[in-house]
Amino acid sequence: MKTLIALSWRNIWRHPARSSVLLAAIIVGLWAGVVAVGMVNGLMQQRIDYLIESEITHAQVHHPEFLAEGYSWLDIPDHDEIVSWLENDERVVSFSSRTITDGMVQSPVKTSGVRIRGIDMASETRTTNFHENLVEGEYLDSEIRNAAIIGERLASEHNMEVGNRVVLTFEDINNELISASFNIVGLFRSASVDYDERNVFVRADDFIDLLSDQPVYHEIGIMLSDEEFAAPLVDELNSAFPGIKAQTWRQLSPELSMLVELGGVMVILITMIIMLALAFGILNTMLMALFERMREIGMLLSIGMSRRRVFGMIMLEAFILTIAGAVVGMSLATLSINYFSDAGLNLEMFAEGAAQLGWDHIIYPTLSIAEYAVILAVVVMITLLASVYPAIKGIRINPLEAARDA
Amino acid sequence: MTIVRTESLSKVYNPDTVPVHALRDVSIEIDESEFTALRGPSGSGKTTLLNMIGGLDKPTSGKVFIDGQEISRMKDGERIDFRLHNIGFVFQHYNLIPVFTARENVSFIMLLQNRDKREIEQRANELLDQVGLGDRKDARPAQLSGGQQQRVAVARALASQPRFILADEPTANLDTEAAMNLLDIMETMNREQNITFVFSTHDQRVIDRARRVITMVDGAISRDEAQQEYGLREG
Repeated sequence: MKTLIALSWRNIWRHPARSSVLLAAIIVGLWAGVVAVGMVNGLMQQRIDYLIESEITHAQVHHPEFLAEGYSWLDIPDHDEIVSWLENDERVVSFSSRTITDGMVQSPVKTSGVRIRGIDMASETRTTNFHENLVEGEYLDSEIRNAAIIGERLASEHNMEVGNRVVLTFEDINNELISASFNIVGLFRSASVDYDERNVFVRADDFIDLLSDQPVYHEIGIMLSDEEFAAPLVDELNSAFPGIKAQTWRQLSPELSMLVELGGVMVILITMIIMLALAFGILNTMLMALFERMREIGMLLSIGMSRRRVFGMIMLEAFILTIAGAVVGMSLATLSINYFSDAGLNLEMFAEGAAQLGWDHIIYPTLSIAEYAVILAVVVMITLLASVYPAIKGIRINPLEAARDA
Repeated sequence: MTIVRTESLSKVYNPDTVPVHALRDVSIEIDESEFTALRGPSGSGKTTLLNMIGGLDKPTSGKVFIDGQEISRMKDGERIDFRLHNIGFVFQHYNLIPVFTARENVSFIMLLQNRDKREIEQRANELLDQVGLGDRKDARPAQLSGGQQQRVAVARALASQPRFILADEPTANLDTEAAMNLLDIMETMNREQNITFVFSTHDQRVIDRARRVITMVDGAISRDEAQQEYGLREG
C-alpha cells in the first residue's frame, strides 16, 4: 500500500503544471464553497436570532383563535395565573405581555393598515432587544401621553417625523370603533422594511385604556435559557391552561423553521454544485494522465500487477490530489470563516436590497464541525465517483499495450 | 526439463471480417536454460508467439503449457498472477516506471509478490550490481541511457525469480556497444544461473549469440536449429 501511495503521489507530479492547476481549482473551489456555506449559515442564523430576540421570542401564548382572527376580544384567559406560572419556572429568563390589535394609522397624507402593539417597556426591554432598533427620538418611556413609535419607512410614506401626530383607529373589545390621536416620539428601523411599514408600538397602559375597562393581553412572549426548552415548556403550558394556545417559535414561524432545515440542505447543495464542476476537471485530468500512460499500465499488467491494484492506483491518485486540495482549501476557508465570524463581512453595497428581504448586510459566517465533515464527505464521494470512469478504463487496458510502438 | 510447450497454436485476428493468420499451427518446446531467439521478418508472428507464451494474449486454437500448467485456459486474473510469479518480461521500449528510481523499479515487482522488505532491498541491490548499475541505483529512468534502462528492465524481469524471461526485441533501440553489453549480461546469467531466455528479434547481434534459433515465416515455424555456444564459436 505504501508503494502504491508513493507511486500515485509521484504520478500526480509527473506534470506539475497540470496537477497544480487542478489542485488550485480544488483549493479555490472548496474555499469558495465553504465560505459561501458559512455565509448562508451566518445569514440564516442572524435572521433566526434576530427574529427570536427582537420579535418572536422562543415561545408565545395566545388565545387559541387570536392569531387566525386578530380580534381584540380574543384575549388570553387566565393571564395572571399564566404569569405566575412563568415567574416560577426556572427555564424562563423573561417574558412580556402584549396587547395587540389590527387597525389603521391616519396622517394628513394617507391611511395605512397596521398592527398596533401595546407593550410594557420594562418587561419588553428585558425580553426582546427591539428597542435597539430605535433610530430617532426616544423609546416609549417618554412622559408624553399616547406616545407611539413607528417604522422609519412608515413615517416616510406618511411624511411624518418625530413630534407629529397620527390617528390610530381600531376596534375595542366590544366591537366599537375607536380613534385616538398618538404622538410620534421615535422612529425605528428593523432588518425588515415590511415589518417597519406594518407595525406601530404604543404603551400597553395607554392602549388598554382605549380597548377595555380592564387589562387585556393578547400575547405573552417568552425567552428561555435554552431554545431546547421551548417544546416541553409549551406542552406543559397547554396542559396546565386548556383555554390558551402556547407555541414554540418553530410553530409560530414555519418559514423560520424551514430556514433552519434549509441550512443543512444548502451545505450539501452548494458543495455538490462546486464539486460537480471540479469533478469534470478531475475526470479530464485523470483521463489525460491515463491516455499518456497506456503502455506503462500495459506493462504493469504484463509483469503481474492485478487489475484491482491498477484500479486502486488510479483512484488513489485522484483521491490524494483531492484530499491535498481539500486540506488546503478547507484550512483557508476555516481561517476566513474564523476571521469574518468576528469581524463580520460588510456587504454594504447590498444593504438596501438585503433590508427589503429582511436581512442584515453585515454577515457573520458560521460553520459547525458537522458541516465541515459533511463537506469533506461530499468532496471525497464526488472525487471517487469522478475517478471511477478513468479507473475502469485503466483496468480495461490490454497488457499488449506494453509491447506497442510509441 | 521442458518449461514451455505449445500445441498447434493458431491465432487469427478479425476472423469475421478480413482474417489475418498471425500464427498457424505452431508447436514448440523450450527447455530449461535455453537461450533461444525467435527470428523472422515483421509480421512473421514472432511477437504474437511470444505474447501467447507470456500469457498476454489468448490463442484462437491450440494450447500453451508452462511447467505443465495450461495458461491458455486460465482466466484473466489467474494469468496475471501466474505471470507475476513465473514469467519475466523485457520490452523493446524498456517500459520502466518513470517516477521510480532504478532500485524502486526493480523492487516494485517483488512488492507485488508481497515479499519481505529486507529481502526485496537486498535482491534489488544484488541484481543492479549484476547488471552493472550498482552506482546508478537511485537514478530515475530519464537519467539513464537506453542501454542502462534496458539493463534495469532485465534486473526487474529477474527480480521476481521467474521460470523464464521473454524479451521482445530487447536490443532494437540500443547502439552496438549497449546491445553487446546487454547480451553479455543476459548470456552470463543464462550460463551461470541457468536462467532461460526467449527473445523475439530480427537483430543479427542477438541471433548470433543465441544457442537455438527458431525462424518464423507467415505465422509458422520454418526452421528450428541449434547453434554453437557463443563462447565456443568465438574460440
